[in-house]
Amino acid sequence: METQRKFIVPIGPQHPALKEPGHFQFTVDGEIVTDASVRLGYVHRGIEKGAENRNWTQNLYLFERICGICSHVHATALAIGVERLAGVQAPPRAQAIRILMAELERIHSHLLWLGVAAHEGGFDTLFMYSWRDREIVMDLLESLSGNRVNYSVNLIGGVKFDVEDKHRDAILRGLDTLEERTRHYLNVVTTDRTFLARTRGVGTMSRNQAELFGTVGPTARASGVARDVRVDAPYEAYTLFPVNLVTDEGGDLMARFVVRTKELFESYRLIREILDHLPSGELTVRVPRKIPAGETVSRVEAPRGELFYFIKSNGGEKPERIKVRTPSLCNWASVMQVAVGHKLADMPMILSGIDPCFSCNDRMVLINRGSSSQVWSWDELRRYGIEYYKKL
Amino acid sequence: MKFKLGTMLGDVIRSAFKSPATERYPFVRKEAPERLRGKLFWDPAKCTGCQLCVRDCPSEAIELIVLDRVSKRFVLRYHPDRCTYCAQCVVNCRFNCLNMSSEEWELAATGKEPFTVYYGRDEDIQFLLEKIARENAGERVECPE
Amino acid sequence: MNNLTVHPLIALLLFPGGLFLLGGGLLYEWIDRKLVARFQNRLGPRWFQPLADLVKLLAKEEITPQGVNRALFFILPVIALASALTSALYVPIAGFVPASSFRGDLIVTLYLLSVLTLCLGLAGANTMNRFALIGATRTLTQLFSYEAPFLLALLGPAIVTKSWQIMTINYYAQQHTWMAITQPIGFVVALVGLMGKLELPPFDAPEAETEIVAGAMTEYSGRGLALFHLGKNVELFIGLTMVAAFYLGGLANPLEFLAKTLGLLVVLTVLQSLFARLRIDQTVGLWWRAGALLALVQLVVVFLLR
Repeated sequence: METQRKFIVPIGPQHPALKEPGHFQFTVDGEIVTDASVRLGYVHRGIEKGAENRNWTQNLYLFERICGICSHVHATALAIGVERLAGVQAPPRAQAIRILMAELERIHSHLLWLGVAAHEGGFDTLFMYSWRDREIVMDLLESLSGNRVNYSVNLIGGVKFDVEDKHRDAILRGLDTLEERTRHYLNVVTTDRTFLARTRGVGTMSRNQAELFGTVGPTARASGVARDVRVDAPYEAYTLFPVNLVTDEGGDLMARFVVRTKELFESYRLIREILDHLPSGELTVRVPRKIPAGETVSRVEAPRGELFYFIKSNGGEKPERIKVRTPSLCNWASVMQVAVGHKLADMPMILSGIDPCFSCNDRMVLINRGSSSQVWSWDELRRYGIEYYKKL
Repeated sequence: MKFKLGTMLGDVIRSAFKSPATERYPFVRKEAPERLRGKLFWDPAKCTGCQLCVRDCPSEAIELIVLDRVSKRFVLRYHPDRCTYCAQCVVNCRFNCLNMSSEEWELAATGKEPFTVYYGRDEDIQFLLEKIARENAGERVECPE
Repeated sequence: MNNLTVHPLIALLLFPGGLFLLGGGLLYEWIDRKLVARFQNRLGPRWFQPLADLVKLLAKEEITPQGVNRALFFILPVIALASALTSALYVPIAGFVPASSFRGDLIVTLYLLSVLTLCLGLAGANTMNRFALIGATRTLTQLFSYEAPFLLALLGPAIVTKSWQIMTINYYAQQHTWMAITQPIGFVVALVGLMGKLELPPFDAPEAETEIVAGAMTEYSGRGLALFHLGKNVELFIGLTMVAAFYLGGLANPLEFLAKTLGLLVVLTVLQSLFARLRIDQTVGLWWRAGALLALVQLVVVFLLR
């Protein structure tokens, strides 16, 4: 019978709800979702492999481009790891500037997310206003670094530029406006009835589930999991400027809105503190071009959660292997589980609730029993690609 | 907790009497910040030809062509379309030969020509261009180095 | 009789039917978009943007998807626009006497206005596209939810006038206090009902782009899409005219018409920009639990006080 057949709603790879390509299949019964699955991999770029062909400095910029929104933390994670391998540490002022930029980036990322999530819920006015106010922090980032998106702040062994008094004043002025606006947005997301009807009790994930799925970042913190690399394992100047953890017990979409907006306040506080107590001194330290052989793990807190870098050097100018695990990858499982039982109309909001970043997820997994070789050369990879597309 | 309808009414009404936040970009231009990383410029006078800028460029956007190392005849070929504006070359240069303009940043073009820029002394560029032209015509010409 | 009359042929082709209505619909769409943009602190489109969109769509290739009933696919947008245009004959557009009028034309007009929504629903159900199917289901579900309260809300003035003729209600409204004051609940329900009818936010679940792309219209391109859009614009124009004629003291001349409909449009745009989109179940719940009940209460009050 017709009614017995599964009705699957495909979302993506091209769909207005998605700003990046991904494919989701929602099996629906009327409006209720009974099953959900995800397929990623549309934006695999071979960055990890590409890293092996570039020197350490060039890789800084390659890895900065993993994500267009949290670009600075990627470069920071790599720089910290490489500096550790080289046995040096960035000077205190450079460390402070690094986390200053990271917090500014977090503000921009969270405001962007607030707008996107509101748009998914059909609240375009909030979307427009939060993006308008995001321009303030974008302009600050531009005036500091000279770029609006990939700031290229880091060098291996320091940062490129200093924060002068006039920048300090501009940042403080901008933060005052932003703080006032954020208070307003917090009020909107916690009291607006039509908006709450879309977020309260939707996509609820209990603390146990959050831990089971291995969620990270604000998604986990909104379910009451106290997990933040900046607190658990402070890196760089976070040892000097401690972060207050923001958690919420709600676990639903509203809690994720609350956690992210409250994190904005925490970022404002932190930036003010950094600007007030900016350590003086050099901006860079000398790092040899050849990094001593060894391997290390570097963890930082990206706006979306814990970002993990494994870096291995063979003593040359180029890395042996760099492995990146991005926060969105950890959060996917939770979406697919939580989605079941909700209405189709809630799907875009649940999807955007984890603040997904597709391009940083995609890895190539090779399941090939035919060949025993685990290491592929560029030529082999290229040939494989050509053969693959010939078959299509 | 109180629940309200239309929490953004204040914003909406205020905006109706305010000029829009969006700018009509090509007609209205905002001044770029001082540190903006725009088009790369090269000053041949101080260059020693160490190639450090070329080595660390993540996108192979610059080539330093050595015509004569002894008399320091270099030409820098710059590709603004490949450049990622990370300023690594500017940081790498120990003699401050390179800098990024905060004024020239509208670099989009419909042709290919604007994306190959030669910097250097006029006679050197002329020499290089002629050499390339001759090479393209099929003659093999050895570099005077 | 303080309204003016026009020749029937002009009425059909130029005014108030035909060209004037299309132009008016496009103008009101522009005002709607511009105001929403300004409320969101944006610049908004220039005055000819809706016309430019229309011309562009008409000039484009119309793609007929596989698996549709082709005749239905082509005829539905035409019927939708035609019914919206026809309904203009019975309403006092620009404060003039309706081009055609008979006893009971209120009901006919209301049904003609619903034909557009029905066509949309059918158009969605006609295609194989899954987004269009869901959009069609939602469009029709929404039709059943707002239609009754909207109808009840427009019946209030009719009952007071003791006539089912739009022209008579318009005269009656001109001579008495604004019914927005004497029947405030009915006015609110009618206004919000109009938003539901036009699928404006927050009742835009049937065409929620982040969920189901363009809803029932997903498979439409070129001419069909243009006609559907045009039909909606005309419906906006007529809907505003009706609510203004019934509840805002009638429409006696073009100036009054402009002031009153534009005033209503401003209120509509403010409401549009204030809310998040309601899910379809929430829309239905709202209309049946609150909308229908309020409209009924208003009717009972009208009956008792008559």
